[in-house]
Amino acid sequence: MLKALAGICFLHLTTIFFLFWATIDDAWWFTRTLYTDLWGKWVMENEDNVWVYMDIPTSYRKDYLQVVQAFAVLSCLFAVFSLCVFIFQLFTLGKGQRFTISGVVQLISCFCIMVALSVYTDHFHRDEKDGWYGWSYIMAWFGWLLTLFTGIMYIILRKRED
Amino acid sequence: MLSVLALTSVVLLGIASQCTAISVYTNWEKHVQVGSDVRLSCSFFSWHWTSAEVTFSWSYRPDGAKESVSIFHYTNGAPYIATKGPFRDRLEFVGNPNRRDGSIMIRNVDYNDNGTFTCDAKNPPDIMGHPSNVRLLVFEKVPVQAGVITGAIIGVVLGLLILVVAIYYLMRFLVARRVFSLSMRHGKKGKGKEGSQQRQAGPSK
Repeated sequence: MLKALAGICFLHLTTIFFLFWATIDDAWWFTRTLYTDLWGKWVMENEDNVWVYMDIPTSYRKDYLQVVQAFAVLSCLFAVFSLCVFIFQLFTLGKGQRFTISGVVQLISCFCIMVALSVYTDHFHRDEKDGWYGWSYIMAWFGWLLTLFTGIMYIILRKRED
Repeated sequence: MLSVLALTSVVLLGIASQCTAISVYTNWEKHVQVGSDVRLSCSFFSWHWTSAEVTFSWSYRPDGAKESVSIFHYTNGAPYIATKGPFRDRLEFVGNPNRRDGSIMIRNVDYNDNGTFTCDAKNPPDIMGHPSNVRLLVFEKVPVQAGVITGAIIGVVLGLLILVVAIYYLMRFLVARRVFSLSMRHGKKGKGKEGSQQRQAGPSK
């Protein structure tokens, strides 16, 4: 029983870790001399391996970028909140009942990161051929997968005797 | 004991007189739409009381120019606007020097007004300090400020969540109270019936 609990907590913490890293690190879009997004961009001006932090250019659609920022932050918040709710329910739930609320909050977090990723994929860097998606973007997708999996798992799981 | 106190007070006064340097505060940047009015605020902090000889001085350096021109000066209780400056008929003094406010208002801004405005305030005997700069940026349409939409979305979603949870608990509380009051009424009715039966049985004997 304890092993299962440890496994679930580890999975949830990995989810939170992925979501936080994807939100904080400015590495959604890469080119040879630049990696950028969500909060700022890092540019290598001459070929001398010196990276300079700059503001997001004004050519970006500011409102769409802020939507992506907002939903990425919200998904992090809901993932942490669902962990707290899960631990709370662990002590207060009766035997045989399901962790529905934790599952629902985790699925809300999944929905938020899905909205952020969809808006980002659809509105930014669509016509740029010489670039590729960075590790933050991929981690956000893995975060989405993990939140979906853990959310459904919480809804199906039943509390057994400790 | 008295000598120690005297020494401490002299040292503190000496330090205090060294601390006096005036700090001037302005905005960092001002974003404004072309054709509208902008208020450039300037305030200062000083350890001395606001003297009657307080002075405010605004100068302007256009974007790309090397030299700045003086556009406004307040001294001896009267504001003076530069008669040949670029803002001669568009500048107005809207500050209150007694409240340490030396703000000016520029009406009908144009794209040529892009530049850096410098405010320098002096409060005699406190005259040592750095002037402060505010950059004026004129836009055709003022862009969305950084983080406004982000904050709005996060606030609305979290607010809705709190509202839903509060309504859920309120409904539970109300339903529980209604169930409790109904059970009380059933209990009272039962007691009332027993009482009336006893009274009827009494007088018939």
